[in-house]
Amino acid sequence: MTDNNLHKEQQIVDHLIGTFQNLSGKVKREKRVEVSIEKKQISSVLNYVKDHLGFVHFSHMSCVDWIEDGYFELVYILWSPKQKVQLLVKALVDRENPSVENVDMIWRQVNTYQREIREMYGIDFSGMKGAQDFILEDWDEIPPMRRDFITDEYVKEVYFERPGREDAKDVRETLVKRSGEEIPDFAKKYSRD
Amino acid sequence: MPNDKNSQKIVDIIKNAARKHSLFVLAYGTGCGAIEIPPTMTSRYDAERFGISGMATPRQADVLLITGYLATKTLKRVIRAYEQMQDPKYVIGFGSCTINGGMYWDSYNTIKLLDKYIPVDVYINGCMPRPEAVIEGFIELQNLIGEGKAEGAKKYKDNLDWYRANQRKVIKNWNMPDYNW
Amino acid sequence: MMREKATTLYLGPQHPGITGNMMIKLKVEGDTVVKAETHVGYLHRGFEKLMERRNWLQSFTIVCRICVPEPDPNELNYSRAVEEIEGREVPERAQWIRTLMMELSRLASYLLWFGGQNGSAGLYTMPQWTVGDRDYILDLFEELTGGRVYHMYIWPGGVRRDLPEGFASRVLQTMDYLEKRLLQYDQLMFDNTVFQKRAQGIGWIDPAKAIEWGVVGPPLRGAGIKSDVRIDDPYLVYDKLDFEVPTQSGSDVWSRSLVRRAEFQQSINMVRQIIDKMPEGPVYNKIPNPMKWNIPAGDAYVKSESARGEFGYYVVSDGGNKPRRVHVKGPAYVHGVTLLENILQGANISDVSFIMNSLGTCPPEIER
Repeated sequence: MTDNNLHKEQQIVDHLIGTFQNLSGKVKREKRVEVSIEKKQISSVLNYVKDHLGFVHFSHMSCVDWIEDGYFELVYILWSPKQKVQLLVKALVDRENPSVENVDMIWRQVNTYQREIREMYGIDFSGMKGAQDFILEDWDEIPPMRRDFITDEYVKEVYFERPGREDAKDVRETLVKRSGEEIPDFAKKYSRD
Repeated sequence: MPNDKNSQKIVDIIKNAARKHSLFVLAYGTGCGAIEIPPTMTSRYDAERFGISGMATPRQADVLLITGYLATKTLKRVIRAYEQMQDPKYVIGFGSCTINGGMYWDSYNTIKLLDKYIPVDVYINGCMPRPEAVIEGFIELQNLIGEGKAEGAKKYKDNLDWYRANQRKVIKNWNMPDYNW
Repeated sequence: MMREKATTLYLGPQHPGITGNMMIKLKVEGDTVVKAETHVGYLHRGFEKLMERRNWLQSFTIVCRICVPEPDPNELNYSRAVEEIEGREVPERAQWIRTLMMELSRLASYLLWFGGQNGSAGLYTMPQWTVGDRDYILDLFEELTGGRVYHMYIWPGGVRRDLPEGFASRVLQTMDYLEKRLLQYDQLMFDNTVFQKRAQGIGWIDPAKAIEWGVVGPPLRGAGIKSDVRIDDPYLVYDKLDFEVPTQSGSDVWSRSLVRRAEFQQSINMVRQIIDKMPEGPVYNKIPNPMKWNIPAGDAYVKSESARGEFGYYVVSDGGNKPRRVHVKGPAYVHGVTLLENILQGANISDVSFIMNSLGTCPPEIER
């Protein structure tokens, strides 16, 4: 792929680096551009790319929990119908007191995405209106998509185990124990150890 | 048991034959399995020749078809619909998620064994069951009704405390009306 | 004494008129809806948490159950995202077979939609016809993959097995049959004065604000904007096929029905072209040991055009053998929550179900 093909993507990255401080970006491949910003620049960057660079279609918003490093990563995915380029905007949020500004006045459907992330991760979007419960009802544990919510223990405590599963960790070992036969040779190739 | 096969009077035989040939299924698609119900009810695998058809309200339906997994939010509404249904009523568990949790066995939001929350008469296994399997399940239910063994509603009334204890463990905010029969 | 004029109705989870298992809380004055509020969450299974505990290859088996009426875009997007992060090549014949599966799945989904749209208006002959015809396509799927509804056929690296003998001629026979039936559907649905009078002027979306509100798929094309992921951001072999993207300018329920009918015809043509032009070759790029398969760190957002709009998958890998994060966005996520609440204001109460069907609201993909 020659450099000529990535010309308009490189132009977008250079323009954004020139306009905002503390912004780093790169071109991933044809039609894919990615920038990383600080959390206080979120609404100004999103307003700018919507009004001046043509990224009017809001595709998706997601959140990743990097518990080992102590932060959440918010990802905003935008698409420009005229230039046909997709932009990923990433921002890091501290895990101890997660609080971000609210951007649903720019695109009104962002309200739904923010409600879900608030419920699943516990990030506070300051100034957002919208009913508290979106998907879960009467949930009083920690937000379930965080990495420190262990589903095994919760399921064992609240729901009934399926019969035959109480002591078995590996299905093949249970079958061997119950029937008294060996694991055949062809099955030993795909083992977990 | 008064309604047993050996001791059935002529009244019971006629009553059971009338009940089993006109089963009205409540129109409630509670999970994934609801995608195989339209093919069962329309012209290719016609279930209406057995007398099975759809009904809109719980007060006039006979069969509650739990098509697949149940999230705890839906379980609350299913219990309410089940208690609103009038006797005689039957429950069919559809798919492997009602039998042992299926592929959502480690999910934090779905219930695993349906029989502990509402009484089930017939299970249809598969993921998805084919329309022929669904019709076979209904025929099994019809045979049970004919012999007088489909007593799920009576089991619910007799062991109500046990069922309520299981339901309250999962449903945290219990603001349901009290139907006293 | 002040009397309240508005009543609150719950178009609840158990209702024969809604598409799936969701609730809409309506405030009505007389016959007109004043405010609508959607409540979802009745089908939540926690898919994304489940996928964090399963291998890359084990996750592919559960992905198809996220969207119940049309499971194939899920498998395709998951496989494409994993291949993009890892840099894996897919053989040429596998790309053509994948496109064939997507177009057949689009036809099956449109047939189910024809039935649903008419059923919510009270015209019950169309569901009987179209659900019966959809079974012919499900027979083709069963011959190819083994399952009628959930296929688990498209996996990272290609497809699972090659086409059986005589399959191509059976596909062409089914396409001829469906093309003849389309003329009969015209007589019953599209030239039917009752349906036209019901559908014209209902559920209007402002075309100037449609892209900003996140409208995708047939509602967007019904508003006059020519936008389709297959031509904007081509994937699979769509750049080698010859097809058009139809648009209408009315932006109401009638225009969306016409757009879907035109796309039905285009899909039939595309299936014929695919069968004609498919090359020979292998169908699978083998993974060395599925139990110990690590994907290098990275992330990708892929999207494809399903029958209802743009379907997106965001997959993040941290270098291990399990996904770090898989986030699914279906077209009904925007259509079913904010857009529906907006359009239903001022609508007649007997049109609520009709409008829901025309937007293609499917609750399982809103809350996964």
